[in-house]
Amino acid sequence: MSKPKVATDWMAGCAGCHMSLLDMDERILQVLELAELRASPITDLKEADESGVDVGVLEGGINNTANEHQAKLMRSRCKYLVALGDCAVFGGVPAMRNFFTIEETLRRAYIETESTIDGFIPTDPELAVPTKVRAVQEVVPVDLHVPGCPPDADVIFYVLAELAQGRVPELKGDKLHWH
Amino acid sequence: MYHLKIDGKEIDVPEGTTVLKAAKMAGIEIPTLCDHPALEPYGGCRLCLVEIEGARTLQPACTLPAGNNMVIQTQTEKVKSARTFVLSMLFSERNHFCPYCQVSGGDCELQNAAYDEEMTHWPLQPNWQVFEVDASHPYFVLDHNRCILCRRCVRACGELVGNFTLGMEERGSKTILVADLGVPLGSSSCVSCGTCVQICPTGALIDRWSAYRGHETDITSTETICVGCSIGCGINVLTRNNSLVRIEGNWDAEINGGVICEVGRFHPMAEKRNRIVTPLIRRNGVLKAATWDEALSVVSTKLQEVNTLKTGGVAAIATTRLPVEGLNLFSQIFTGQSGNNVVTSTEEGFYTSFTKDIEFSVRKEAGLEEINKADLLLTIGVNLVKDHQVAGFFVKRAIGKETNVITVTNESTGMESFTPYGKIINKGSELSFVSALNSAYHNQLHGEIMEKVGISSQEVVKLATLFKNAKNPMIIFGVEFEAKNKSDVIRALLQFASETNSKFASLKGNANSLFASQLNLDSSFTLNGSQVVFLALGDEDPSQTLTQRVENAPFIIVQASYQSALSAKADVVLPVTNWLEQNGHYVTSDGKTQEAKRALVPASDIKSNEEVFLALGSKLGLVLDENWMDAIKI
Repeated sequence: MSKPKVATDWMAGCAGCHMSLLDMDERILQVLELAELRASPITDLKEADESGVDVGVLEGGINNTANEHQAKLMRSRCKYLVALGDCAVFGGVPAMRNFFTIEETLRRAYIETESTIDGFIPTDPELAVPTKVRAVQEVVPVDLHVPGCPPDADVIFYVLAELAQGRVPELKGDKLHWH
Repeated sequence: MYHLKIDGKEIDVPEGTTVLKAAKMAGIEIPTLCDHPALEPYGGCRLCLVEIEGARTLQPACTLPAGNNMVIQTQTEKVKSARTFVLSMLFSERNHFCPYCQVSGGDCELQNAAYDEEMTHWPLQPNWQVFEVDASHPYFVLDHNRCILCRRCVRACGELVGNFTLGMEERGSKTILVADLGVPLGSSSCVSCGTCVQICPTGALIDRWSAYRGHETDITSTETICVGCSIGCGINVLTRNNSLVRIEGNWDAEINGGVICEVGRFHPMAEKRNRIVTPLIRRNGVLKAATWDEALSVVSTKLQEVNTLKTGGVAAIATTRLPVEGLNLFSQIFTGQSGNNVVTSTEEGFYTSFTKDIEFSVRKEAGLEEINKADLLLTIGVNLVKDHQVAGFFVKRAIGKETNVITVTNESTGMESFTPYGKIINKGSELSFVSALNSAYHNQLHGEIMEKVGISSQEVVKLATLFKNAKNPMIIFGVEFEAKNKSDVIRALLQFASETNSKFASLKGNANSLFASQLNLDSSFTLNGSQVVFLALGDEDPSQTLTQRVENAPFIIVQASYQSALSAKADVVLPVTNWLEQNGHYVTSDGKTQEAKRALVPASDIKSNEEVFLALGSKLGLVLDENWMDAIKI
């Protein structure tokens, strides 16, 4: 039997959850013995195989049309979707901007910041359109939420190892932290 | 006793026990948010819903009295899904994103409740409505975005503190916590006791000093007592890396039951005085750092020199904030010397001298906990809004529980807005007032003296009637009467108390006011040619009056924790621990001996008051008795 395939991607987050994944150190080799890591921001392949993967992992909230596309693509190509980290689970730090309008946040970021001179809000039609920041579950159905800011390396190892062996991870007690 | 079955466990509980308390007695934890052991059950958050056999719907355990033969289930699917639903609704209401909240990571009861229910996410996302942050208060911040409307703060403000500053405005999702009629906290009637901050289950009320300075799991909590006044409230001092993080009222403390005041909770945090960190000796007009041995040698030589003089000895003055151990040694050093010594305290017996004038025994006094049982309270000679505030909270909260409260003052203190019997009488007319009250009590009031008092005889008759109808009256008195008839007023008060069968309590002054008086450190002093002034100030800030009275003495020794106008004038300065850095005992106003425990380690060159007195005693060749037990006279 071939090893289960895992693909990951990141959206509106800080990459910290992927850093935490790498923080499991040599145990990543154990994960690789159990599963095949396909597309991810830290491998050459960037999009999950068209033929599909077993487990998809998404880091980050969804804050524009490009993230929406990423989330939908991952959902369509994986059997089991994991929302990894507080941004994917709740919206997280990026969602702080939801307390303001998008116009306000763009103006602040591109024009009003203290270090900006002659700033302007980019309008290139090729750019993704910003939206309210949403948790992954608001855009596509999620099978497992792994909260944490970031989730501990131990928790990520546990989750991946369980999934690779066909079990549903149980997040409670020490393994359950929202940040 | 009622017999119940909770999750299959059988238990007998007294009639009137709530299901929540019964479950606790059976060792079963039911999650709660709005409930708090110090408050009356409220039933606001619905997190404690349980299944009762035969009941149509789930019932809140916190408000439901257990019935005989009740069968209760706390862990069924129905109960658990209701809990998750309640939590989902709470999280969806406002901004409960944990990563940028002060209490996240162990200190948040909302987050902990979600963990207990194994919630990995929020089934309903928040609606992103923005609420205000009220940062107008000098000590704490109210972030409405983190509020779950449990009303613990509102109830604590009313039930525990009796201040009723906090309340709720609007209805439904627009419900909002308000101070008074919707003013910023900083300009409200808040008395800054901080009980609301301590009782808040989320990060909605956070104090400015401790916020974002570490979770409760990585800070050390020392159970000790407040030395802000003679009440002796139980507190927990929270420290981290040997620095003060926060002070909280100890919910289990008998005296105060968790409530403390601004003086106890926030004043130590707002400490701005500079510490004295090494002994100092004045050389060529300038204070220079010295070793302890040098400093103590100068002090002992000077004291011995003065002792041989025929006139003008030592004036030794100690703060009543020193622990029993320190005062006991201080008294032995200076009363044991020959010469014309003046030995007293910074209070000079202001709060306690009456106990000797009228052969008053503290043993006859009632403890402050009696305030909670009284049905009539009279306070006189004390402003409980300003001093001994926790006693003031006890009095104010009693008003809400249908206790009649009479406050007698010379000027408006704010108490009058809480009680219909807030009487302002003319300065110096207390004796006339008390005798008028006594006459009225015996139906013999004659109108003529009332003009002097400043209230009508009808009013006094009304007050006397309250005493006639009271089953458990209590009189709480201070000493803010005219000096010339202070003892007479108190004598008259005690006479009235005995005739009306009233309990009585006097509030005294600083933390060890009573004990200082028992050591006879209670006379008023005049320098009268004293050659040396020895001031054991501890961490007390010397008053301007005290400074002016002693600053021209030929030789000044200051034993203190902090720099002050007096330490600047001193010839020798001995650095000592402050209240947080020393172990020691304190005798409360009602005669209870309590132990204060060290919460912080002092800097290396700072000694405790006892260490200094012992070292000085040995330099002087005195044999000091460290046993203080016999010095306490209760």
